[in-house]
Amino acid sequence: MDVVLDVKGLSKQYKKGVYASEDVTFQVHKGEIFALIGPNGAGKTTTIRMISTLLKATEGDAVVDGHSILTEPEKVRECITYLPDEAGAYKTMRGIEYLRFMASIYAKQKSDIEEFVKRGSDICELGDRLNDKISNYSRGMQRRLLLARAIMSKPSLAILDEPTSGLDIINALEIRRIIKKLAADGMSFLLSSHNMLEIEYVSDRVGIISKGHLLEVGPSRELVAKYGVNNLEEVFEKVVTVH
Amino acid sequence: MKFSILLKKELKEMLSPTTIITMLLMIIVLILAGKAMSKAVGEIQEDAKTITICDQDQTDFTKAMIDAIDKDENTEVKRVEIKSDDYSKELDDVDCKNVIIIPKGFTEQVAQHKTATVKFAQKMTSIATFSNVNQGSKNALTALEKGIKYTIYAQSNLDQATRDQLEQPIELEEYTVVSDKQDQIASSTVASLMSSQSMFIPIVMFLLIMYTSQMIMNAISTEKLDKTLETLLSSPVSRLSVISAKMISAAIVAALQAAAYMYGMNKMMDGITGGAASDQNVDALKKLGLSLSAGDYVLVGIQMFLTILIVLSISIVLGALAKDAKSAQTLQMPIMMLAMVPYFVTMFIDVKTASPIIKYVTMIIPFTHSFIANQNVMFGDYTTYFIGLAYQFVLLCVCMFLALRIFMSDRIFTLTLGGGKKKSGGLFAKKKPSYDEED
Ligand SMILES: Nc1ncnc2c1ncn2[C@@H]1O[C@H](COP(=O)(O)OP(=O)(O)OP(=O)(O)O)[C@@H](O)[C@H]1O
Ligand SMILES: [Mg+2]
Repeated sequence: MDVVLDVKGLSKQYKKGVYASEDVTFQVHKGEIFALIGPNGAGKTTTIRMISTLLKATEGDAVVDGHSILTEPEKVRECITYLPDEAGAYKTMRGIEYLRFMASIYAKQKSDIEEFVKRGSDICELGDRLNDKISNYSRGMQRRLLLARAIMSKPSLAILDEPTSGLDIINALEIRRIIKKLAADGMSFLLSSHNMLEIEYVSDRVGIISKGHLLEVGPSRELVAKYGVNNLEEVFEKVVTVH
Repeated sequence: MKFSILLKKELKEMLSPTTIITMLLMIIVLILAGKAMSKAVGEIQEDAKTITICDQDQTDFTKAMIDAIDKDENTEVKRVEIKSDDYSKELDDVDCKNVIIIPKGFTEQVAQHKTATVKFAQKMTSIATFSNVNQGSKNALTALEKGIKYTIYAQSNLDQATRDQLEQPIELEEYTVVSDKQDQIASSTVASLMSSQSMFIPIVMFLLIMYTSQMIMNAISTEKLDKTLETLLSSPVSRLSVISAKMISAAIVAALQAAAYMYGMNKMMDGITGGAASDQNVDALKKLGLSLSAGDYVLVGIQMFLTILIVLSISIVLGALAKDAKSAQTLQMPIMMLAMVPYFVTMFIDVKTASPIIKYVTMIIPFTHSFIANQNVMFGDYTTYFIGLAYQFVLLCVCMFLALRIFMSDRIFTLTLGGGKKKSGGLFAKKKPSYDEED
């Protein structure tokens, strides 16, 4: 299988001597949903931000579609989209304006723009509300809009930090369904979450991260079997106590 | 192409209806201020013409004196009766702002060649009538003196030529010199013609600095807090284009503001000079180089624009470092202080001739040079103007460099100031950033 994301020994120190993430290594394949799971402060966002070229890695490298984040960050940005944790959108814009603005940034040619906007509007299912100011959106509506934005341009790799945090069951389910469908079409996902039960359903493989270390990587079903427990949460508990 | 998309977005955000309305309001306020002032000055002149007199002495001498004053074409006498010492009540009764009271025994004092006493009561309704008050009593005194002279001369056997000479033995021909230019006009007249200008420029300058800094700090801190900045910086646009789009659009908006302000100022000055000052006075100001020519406006504009760019580059950093909306506000403090000091100092003293400490401390603050730019240009002190311009330019480069450095590195995400547990907020926040990471 094609490797879309190849993370090799990625480390980050915010302060000298304190690793927020240390020697993180994993791969994400084409059409795969990979989830980084771990408690608050585990280093998920830090790892994701390095891959998204927002933060410079202290050590290690990550390669997206053959482009290194160290040497070709501009090329990497053309292959990814990133949805930050608890992100917002421009409050003064209307939903549709936001989609159009972001579409024109990701578009490689003019004709892409309308295609992206069309796909985005379909995905977020906001209908007429797309003509409303974003400041009038509920949290769930805004999250749907942002998610639509992140996947409308069909990047090789969509990086979503806590994509369903703060959403109700219905919305979360909907988002999971969208992600699965797009992955089936060949898009790759790197997600993060501390809701391990949810991740168990959506992801193909998970990476358990704690205190900056990636402790275990594999399909959730295999991990559950390996540790002889009932679910991912229990796997996590075991993994953390062992290490 | 990507850059123009970013620029368009920033412009749309910064040129919000509020901004445009504020700009229009500023112009309107300035024009109205010009109108109001020209009216006020006109009223003072009108008021000064009428003199209200109460003659309690009622002798032939005082009557003749008052008639003599009345005959003068520059003054008009209103005769009233004041019966008590309760001036508040009496002034209300006769419906006057002020009154000259010629007390009983006045004629006797004059006859005995003593200095005669008259009373003058002025009602003060607000400090705005301050200039009015001074003029009232001075005019009253001059008028009375004239009246006494006329009457005494009439009773004497001096010939007409001597009387005329005594009437005005000296005429003052005042000249005002400004750098290498001079004209026949009293410097006090010049000062009063200029006072409105020296009052308004600093206020608007101050507002402009605060407004610009708030605009860009808002723009950048909300982007950071809403994480739209992260989204943008992980998209296929360069960081440089993101920050430059912000700066350029803020600069465009600021330039528009400055232009609006200049236009308003110009209109205001037209209003004042057109309404109150005689053509002769306006000509005198022009001759003295104290009215700004088109070239002068450009110079002042450039100076102001530089200040705005410095404000922008400092504010963009401060805004980017804000932890939350509240700390973004506290982080505006340093800018406010930097604008406040030159605002007050230049309002009350002449910086260039002040004591060295005050002078250099104020001059080090970059904004000062914009506060004194119009004075420098008007009074032909181009050396100070261009030194200030060069200093601001160097400072601008430094600030831009620092802003770019922070923006292009991790620090835009890792460095935070103000509020929170780090306790590095407040005034000194700017000087002591807490780096979370080494280079
Ligand atoms: N700007 C920063 N400066 C210093 N330390 C930081 C900074 N950002 C994060 N850290 C630290 O790095 C570690 C990892 O944080 P990170 O945000 O990656 O965790 P996370 O796994 O995303 O947690 P959460 O589930 O709460 O989002 C934490 O200990 C955090 O305190
Ligand atoms: Mg996180």
